[in-house]
Amino acid sequence: MDLLGMTAVELGRKIKAKEVSATEAVQASLGQIKALEETLNCYVTVDEEGALEQAARIQKKIEDGTLSGPLAGVPVAIKDNMCTEGLLTTCSSKILYNFKPTYTAEAVKNLQKAGAVILGKTNMDEFAMGSTTETSAFGVTKNPWGTEHVPGGSSGGSCAAVAAEECFYALGSDTGGSIRQPSSFCGVTGIKPTYGTVSRYGLIAYGSSLDQIGPVAKDVTDCAAVLEAITSYDKKDSTSVLRKDTDFTAALVDDVKGMRIGIPRDYLGEGLDPEVEAAIRKAAGILKDKGAKVEEFDLSLVEYAIPAYYVIASAEASSNLARFDGIKYGYRTEEYDGLHNMYKKSRSEGFGPEVKRRIMLGSFVLSSGYYDAYYLKALRTKALIKQAFDRAFEKYDVILGPASPSTAPRLGSSLEDPLKMYLGDIYTISVNLAGLPGMTVPCGLDSQGLPIGVQLIGDCFKEKNIIRAGYAFEQARGAWKAPELTERAKKGAN
Amino acid sequence: MSKQYETVIGLEVHVELATKTKIFCSCSTAFGGAPNTHTCPVCTGMPGSLPVLNKQVVEYAMAVGLATNCKIHQYSKFDRKNYFYPDNPQNYQISQLYLPICYEGGVEIDTPAGKKVVRIHEIHMEEDAGKLIHDEWEDCSLVDYNRSGVPLIEIVSEPDMRSADEVIAYLDKLRLIIQYLGASDCKLQEGSMRADVNLSVREAGAEKFGTRTEMKNLNSFKAIARAIEGERARQIELLEEGKQVIQETRRWDDNKEYSYAMRSKEDAQDYRYFPDPDLVPVIISDEWIAKIKARQPELRTEKLERYKKEFDIPDYDAQIITGSKTLADLFEETTAICRKPKKAANWILGETLRLLKEKELEPEEIRFSAENLAKLIELVDAGTINSSVAKDVFAVIFEEDADPERYVEEKGLKMVNDEGALQSVIEEIVAANPQSVADYKGGKQKAMGFLVGQTMKAMKGKADPAAVNRILKEILSR
Amino acid sequence: MANVISDETIEYVGILAKLELSAKEKEQAKKDMGSMLDYIDKLNELDTSGVEPMSHVFPVNNVFREDVVENGDDRENLLKNAPEQKDGSYKVPKTVE
Repeated sequence: MDLLGMTAVELGRKIKAKEVSATEAVQASLGQIKALEETLNCYVTVDEEGALEQAARIQKKIEDGTLSGPLAGVPVAIKDNMCTEGLLTTCSSKILYNFKPTYTAEAVKNLQKAGAVILGKTNMDEFAMGSTTETSAFGVTKNPWGTEHVPGGSSGGSCAAVAAEECFYALGSDTGGSIRQPSSFCGVTGIKPTYGTVSRYGLIAYGSSLDQIGPVAKDVTDCAAVLEAITSYDKKDSTSVLRKDTDFTAALVDDVKGMRIGIPRDYLGEGLDPEVEAAIRKAAGILKDKGAKVEEFDLSLVEYAIPAYYVIASAEASSNLARFDGIKYGYRTEEYDGLHNMYKKSRSEGFGPEVKRRIMLGSFVLSSGYYDAYYLKALRTKALIKQAFDRAFEKYDVILGPASPSTAPRLGSSLEDPLKMYLGDIYTISVNLAGLPGMTVPCGLDSQGLPIGVQLIGDCFKEKNIIRAGYAFEQARGAWKAPELTERAKKGAN
Repeated sequence: MSKQYETVIGLEVHVELATKTKIFCSCSTAFGGAPNTHTCPVCTGMPGSLPVLNKQVVEYAMAVGLATNCKIHQYSKFDRKNYFYPDNPQNYQISQLYLPICYEGGVEIDTPAGKKVVRIHEIHMEEDAGKLIHDEWEDCSLVDYNRSGVPLIEIVSEPDMRSADEVIAYLDKLRLIIQYLGASDCKLQEGSMRADVNLSVREAGAEKFGTRTEMKNLNSFKAIARAIEGERARQIELLEEGKQVIQETRRWDDNKEYSYAMRSKEDAQDYRYFPDPDLVPVIISDEWIAKIKARQPELRTEKLERYKKEFDIPDYDAQIITGSKTLADLFEETTAICRKPKKAANWILGETLRLLKEKELEPEEIRFSAENLAKLIELVDAGTINSSVAKDVFAVIFEEDADPERYVEEKGLKMVNDEGALQSVIEEIVAANPQSVADYKGGKQKAMGFLVGQTMKAMKGKADPAAVNRILKEILSR
Repeated sequence: MANVISDETIEYVGILAKLELSAKEKEQAKKDMGSMLDYIDKLNELDTSGVEPMSHVFPVNNVFREDVVENGDDRENLLKNAPEQKDGSYKVPKTVE
């Protein structure tokens, strides 16, 4: 039995049927972690002891019938920017190198209620700032499809861990594409839900008005099941939205007849890798063959999303990250001369270059004399972008496009020119500005054997549309395939 | 000083609201806990924590705004004020800059020149900071976040005041209104009411305002008055010397009676305000405003009117009693129990105020209950104790809220009504003081007083003075 | 490059953000910030007059908490993460008053 190759929902079914125990599942994951971590570095922290202890406890509950959900006993990996009580939570930053939260993030709590076993915390770009997972203070994560390549980011550890079968599914967070882009690079499926759907309580904030937690998994079915489990109206998060239509698995229907799908012309052409474009068009063709009405349209304003995003996200980040000051938690410099020197040294030594870059930019755009020209201008642009999507969703149920202009770049090739790296987020960022749900589904490999993902974007609160489209596409595409490296590691273990 | 100068003053008054919990988390706001025992991830700025607004804070802010004739912004938002300091755990304070809850109000004050309105520019809601204690043994400071997140309203006046007296009158007025509303106890000494003074001077008759400074750390009305005088003198001196006043924040040192500039290179005073993305707008409907209005308690003017009608006490007495919410409450509660408004008023205006003054206390610091004052009034009325004993008993009530009935019983302070016993004591006194008896008979009325005093002393004060006088006269006239 | 960031600006932003950059980092920061601002200036092509700034995507409002004490004393737990503590408090370099 290829235990590791199962999807989360398949494993959950086997556990429920007593064919596999939660402990066996954890042991299998831990084995794969041991086999691959040295190569890939998906995790910042692996909680071996804790995972086995949780598995035993959960197994009992499954046996006595108190836990019966589809995810009970299934091992999960959590991005390291979500608080887990007593378990190291670093945001892949030196400034939180020793931080053990006193409470657990609401989304993680919801998974625990569903019987999830937490294996550990996954690597990410420091404070989720980056698109490659190379800005982590704890080493880069490599792409299981080609270890010379980045896994994408910022949820690179979560996506690579799913692709490497070092966990059955994972949680990521998405501020400007941080779930959808690495999912595309790692050949896995990931959803960024509508803003306010999953509680942000316990998610260490980057850009508060844009951040959302979402699932990363092998297929659409898993993503829908996980999203259903983590969605909740949380009184501790004032931006949480009370929703009634959260039975996402009900949308797992292989039927897109009459579904209106729009492809933004602005997303194709210049800047887009032809191989990626071909794969996207092919995916659109499959949905068309299944009865969807597919057409191209002009979304407009696409080129303004990135500058607006960097103003808003950096401004919020400069304030959100002010709390890391060496007083209440985390890193404090060894030697200092007075309070302000302690602040400056702790922060300068504790944060990496990309985080500092964004804090500087954010502080500047909010500073006296620039607020209107930059910050308010960006918020007005955001309003226009939202209007553009509103108009599009009058005509379409789903917007289809690439998740990234290219497949995973080589390690070390992106950080030299930050602006160029930022431009790579062009297809994902506007979704966050408009609060929309978006999903990446693997749709092929390029000539280097690197995965390509198709992005499906829905109107606010219309996750079901993209889940249905993704599921239907997946049925035609065929089951998820693991990269060579993953298969080899499993064979080695046997 | 050859020229005449006018002082122009505006105030920023911070008031801690009387909520049970903090503004953004459900930690207690109680005073006096051990350091950091009223804290949680939210008010210590733990990563990932999020604020949720306490509804009561909005209602108190609205109540104060309505009572000070402000308009209400029916769409109000919170902003972050960014600055680094250890008492500020997130290194930003959640406040309101762009859309404060109340705006354009004002209160009337009495000045020697007549009534005057001090306009209120705005009232906004915000969170208080923690407390920094300087360690006595080590070269370090210690942070206590118990006060971090306690709700505040900041009442910002227009620069409408011209003297320390006007400032005090304005603060008194605000304090009274807010205490009446029950929105805060407004204790300056304890910091539940704090005032920052913005002050500038200009030549008399000048149209343009001078450059202002902002003074902080003013912990009493007296300190405020001294700081205003000190800063006025400092600014005039600068101008007389042909120098310029610099716009800056200064810290008042009340011991040295001088203010010091608080500037440092590390303090850019550029707060980078922006709307807090973690909080959603507060939308206040007409219905909500009407509800708060309907719920507003009786304020001072209404209370004065009612006292005149209901209790038949002198206008002057009513003025003083209603001048403090605590005194007014004490008066009404006592009267409700004993139904003797005049006597209750006398105890409050007499002994209570005398003891407060003697002990340098504010009415808000009164610790005794209306029940015990009412009992005392009953004891005197029933003739159980005489009025001089009653004063002694009141002193004990004032100190430790003693139950007067039990206290009188325990200490044996009841008036002796046994005339036979009194008669024999007086007989003894008369026999022992032949000179005084002779003096009295010789027409010296003073001697009578001496004999009464001796009798009361022998009776340990527990005799009815009227009975002593009567019996003494009978014996002496034999 | 249209936006030229001066040494003073970098110094000033460093004070605001409490970051101390090395000479090399400062040069890099000047360059990075300049090119980012050039890029951000693209927004000026857009006519946004009459458009309300949008901070929240959804019209969620009036989210309140009732005034009820729910939290107890969690000091010991919270202080565990403090780099330095003393007498139940967070220990910091002496603040000048």
